[in-house]
Amino acid sequence: MTTMATECLLQLCEERHEIEDYQGGVPRWCTGCGDNAILAAVQRLCRDEGLHPEKTVFVSGIGCSSRFPHYMRTYGFHGIHGRALPVAEGIRLARPDLKVFVNTGDGDCCSIGAAHWIHAIRYNMNMTVFLHDNQIYGLTKMQASPTSPRGTKSNTTPRGSYLEALQPLSVTLGVQNVSFVAQAVDWIPEMLYDIVKAAYHHRGFSFIRIVQRCPEWLPKVWDPWLHDPSRIQVLTHEDGVPVSESLAKVYRNRLEHDPANLNRAREIAADTDNIPVGILYRNPEVPCYEDLRASTRLRTTDYVKAGLETEFDKFTIWPQA
Amino acid sequence: MNMPSEAQVTFFLTGRRAAQELEALDTVRLRPAALAAYLDLTRLRHDFPVVLIEDAGEGAAFAALSALVDGVLESAPGAGEQTRLRAHALRIEREIRTLVANGASDRLPALIDSAAARVAPLPDRAFAESVQRLREGMARDGLVVDCNAALPRRLLGHVWRSVARVKGEAFRAEAERLMHGLDAILRADHAQSRRGRAATELRAAIGTAHAEAFDFERMAQLLAPVSAESTLSPARRARIESVLTVLRGQRFFALPGSAVEPYAFEFEDCASALSAFRARLPEMAALARALAVAALEVEGEYREARHDAVFADFDLTGMDAEALAQFPDLLVCLNEKALHTPENQALGEMLESGLPVKVLVQTDDLLEAPLAGSGHLAMGSRGRQLASMALGLNEVYVVQSASSNLVAMREHVERAMRYVGPALFSVYSGASEHIGGLPVYLVAAAAMDARAFPAFSYDPAAGGDWASRFSLETNTQLERDWPLHRLEYEDSEQQRVVEEIGFTLADFVACDTRYARHYAQVPREKWNGGMVALESCIAETARGLPERLPSLVMVDAENRLQRVIVDDKLVREARRCREMWHSLQELAGARGGQAARAKAQSAPVEPQAAPPAAEASPPAQMPAPAAAEAPTSAPPSDEPYIETPRCSSCNECIQINPRMFAYDANQQARIVDASAGTYRELVEAAENCQVAIIHPGKPKNPKEPDLEELLKRAEPFL
Repeated sequence: MTTMATECLLQLCEERHEIEDYQGGVPRWCTGCGDNAILAAVQRLCRDEGLHPEKTVFVSGIGCSSRFPHYMRTYGFHGIHGRALPVAEGIRLARPDLKVFVNTGDGDCCSIGAAHWIHAIRYNMNMTVFLHDNQIYGLTKMQASPTSPRGTKSNTTPRGSYLEALQPLSVTLGVQNVSFVAQAVDWIPEMLYDIVKAAYHHRGFSFIRIVQRCPEWLPKVWDPWLHDPSRIQVLTHEDGVPVSESLAKVYRNRLEHDPANLNRAREIAADTDNIPVGILYRNPEVPCYEDLRASTRLRTTDYVKAGLETEFDKFTIWPQA
Repeated sequence: MNMPSEAQVTFFLTGRRAAQELEALDTVRLRPAALAAYLDLTRLRHDFPVVLIEDAGEGAAFAALSALVDGVLESAPGAGEQTRLRAHALRIEREIRTLVANGASDRLPALIDSAAARVAPLPDRAFAESVQRLREGMARDGLVVDCNAALPRRLLGHVWRSVARVKGEAFRAEAERLMHGLDAILRADHAQSRRGRAATELRAAIGTAHAEAFDFERMAQLLAPVSAESTLSPARRARIESVLTVLRGQRFFALPGSAVEPYAFEFEDCASALSAFRARLPEMAALARALAVAALEVEGEYREARHDAVFADFDLTGMDAEALAQFPDLLVCLNEKALHTPENQALGEMLESGLPVKVLVQTDDLLEAPLAGSGHLAMGSRGRQLASMALGLNEVYVVQSASSNLVAMREHVERAMRYVGPALFSVYSGASEHIGGLPVYLVAAAAMDARAFPAFSYDPAAGGDWASRFSLETNTQLERDWPLHRLEYEDSEQQRVVEEIGFTLADFVACDTRYARHYAQVPREKWNGGMVALESCIAETARGLPERLPSLVMVDAENRLQRVIVDDKLVREARRCREMWHSLQELAGARGGQAARAKAQSAPVEPQAAPPAAEASPPAQMPAPAAAEAPTSAPPSDEPYIETPRCSSCNECIQINPRMFAYDANQQARIVDASAGTYRELVEAAENCQVAIIHPGKPKNPKEPDLEELLKRAEPFL
């Protein structure tokens, strides 16, 4: 029974934040790292959407990408390797009033956290997930990750990796209940921002794979795409992200793609020649797990305590009478 | 003989009845022919009795018993089983109808049982199964009520309580959420305070299992330097506590565990309702304020600098219709007889000022003679007049209906009860002491059919014009002046005759003992072709002696057809009634009036005149081309520059010279001062830039060392 008056009063106290209000510690990523671009885009989103720092939480696992929460002046949870998503899901269930973001890397998400990733897609809980995909374990100084291109020489694969790289977009698009999949590259900040924004506005599990350069361990790997704009395939559609006039002049390889078309999205994701940039798939109709399990029951101390006691009692060894 | 006799014409003009020619109307023995088939209602499936459904929530608050039975029958499985269930269910339904008509007042399940016991006194397995299925299928509990004098009050009171219960539930959930949230703030503060970190509190927090493993005194000592008295400012604590006091002490809703008795909202008269409302208004404002403050506090959004001023002035002026709608509405049930002057005044005041009040004005006697007795008949109830006047107030939801029609009006009744603002229900019960021998339901239905008490609803929130706000839809054959009924009878030669007769005001008035003198029964041998149906001669305003006289078809106690003529006074009254009906039709858009024209216009209209308008004001319509285009033209290449929108914020240039390069508001690099560094730094930044967007331009200082080499290195970036 929130009155209109209360809503007006809430709006009355909306505060304007500057980008500095979202900046936490000074990033310790290497100079030139693509993560900086992601951080800039996300901080811009926070400012433009007027997110309240105390109502926003960034959750991460382990890796270069996962240092992200340290650099945001919001709530953050730097979790354990591969477990960013379950932590984020727990936050989502317990605190539905918070905006939840997840930062995870190709090692964190696609290797040790792969099972959580699959099921998080299926649960479709409302959060925005950034897969910082630099195709290498960077924090531990260069080991091949599941997305490293075949032949990548690293500390664990001195003769070059033997397996084809895993395609995160194809995997995500293959899971039931997938509701939002997009791809961005760190070196087109304008589109990166627009895609991040579209993902934030989608209610559900919004998954963005961000092709991210690692100047330290794989400095040349993206050069063919970086220096040849025609290999960036910009996805256009009235339901997609806009392409500005200046970008359109540089990126002429454009493909009209309806984000509602799942089969076409899978085809586009399978293309490894080009890097498709834009929204591959969006379905706002997929139900969110937290809505399916929503309860109006007030979580009073007594209620929580009773629930916990019941659970603990299952493990209690009672002395025999 | 096609002309009325002289005695008949005399009666028509003067109301004087020559006893040897015309008989007096016996209002109890003679009934309008159209009603003849309905005299025993217990044998007919109709809208009554009605079940007042308990705990209906957002669903229908009441339903006709017959509709509930039909619902069960529709979902019955298997054809054979269905036939058997149907037979049993309909017998039980009829039995309940009889029980209720004879004055039984009970809840639905109990009535099913007692009806079943009367229908099949001996155990019968198949019958018992049907009873069971009927009970399960209906799955409703509630009082079963018949159409009688008490019905309008019972039924509307029930709907009002259903709406109030839903409102109360919403309030309870919200109040509990807010109180829980506020309480959590206080508890969190306590846990962090010095008192909350005292040794005893710490011990209590750990529980019994490991209490011995800790030195709580030492722990308290360690925590003391980092614990404040309170993390809350005194002003905030006082605010939260005062809001909690208001929420706990409110008397508008019953909360579980609350010590205070909630207010009553049902009143017998307008004056006491109005004074109660006025007396409670300050408390309502305090509660609305407390809810708003609590919502802000729980969200963590209360800003003293802004909100203190707002809430300091938050008094009755803050209570608009929306704010009032959170509280239970007042319900006033009164009889039109009680509408004497002060009561009328209070009612008028409440309706005019848009107070959240729902008023039932019940009319029992529709045909009351006017107080200013004159030759003119001018009958009509104050309830009906009131409803018509309330229409003019525009903001009042008005529902008028005979009680027989309330089931058909259910959606309007419920919507009116939920309406944010005043609602007036004008209901004719049909329980007039001057109409004897007819079931109340039939009298009420007859009044509606005769257009003496038409049903209508006016929903101020339903749309932009009268045609969409005003509805006559539940009236019978609403496009006609009076509805036509089919009358079948056997004539003196034993031949079947089918006739369509209208049910006019005169037919309805013929049931009322007070107006018998306006009717004269014509003996069969005096019947003539000049006696015609009332509606066929009502439009005539004859000069000279009338050639046709209005007559009615009636049926006597032996079920024989009789003809009755009426006098001119009654015809005039019928004409007045018809005119009033016409104006209602016009309001509803059914008669080509203003509303009908509005309705016709609201049909899809071709967009006209758009092109000329656009031509007339091209500057406003056209996008400004110069402004829309981004400044894409590159600066002269002599000057160093960065394609800022493409910057990926990688820090390379910033680290080379933070005075020369800096980030803008979007965290993207630009050259802030090209003279703050060397040409070498510009060239190195261009070389290191991950996305190659730095263009070093031409060197400013011709004396810079190694210029030649630098210019060569700068070439790819120019």
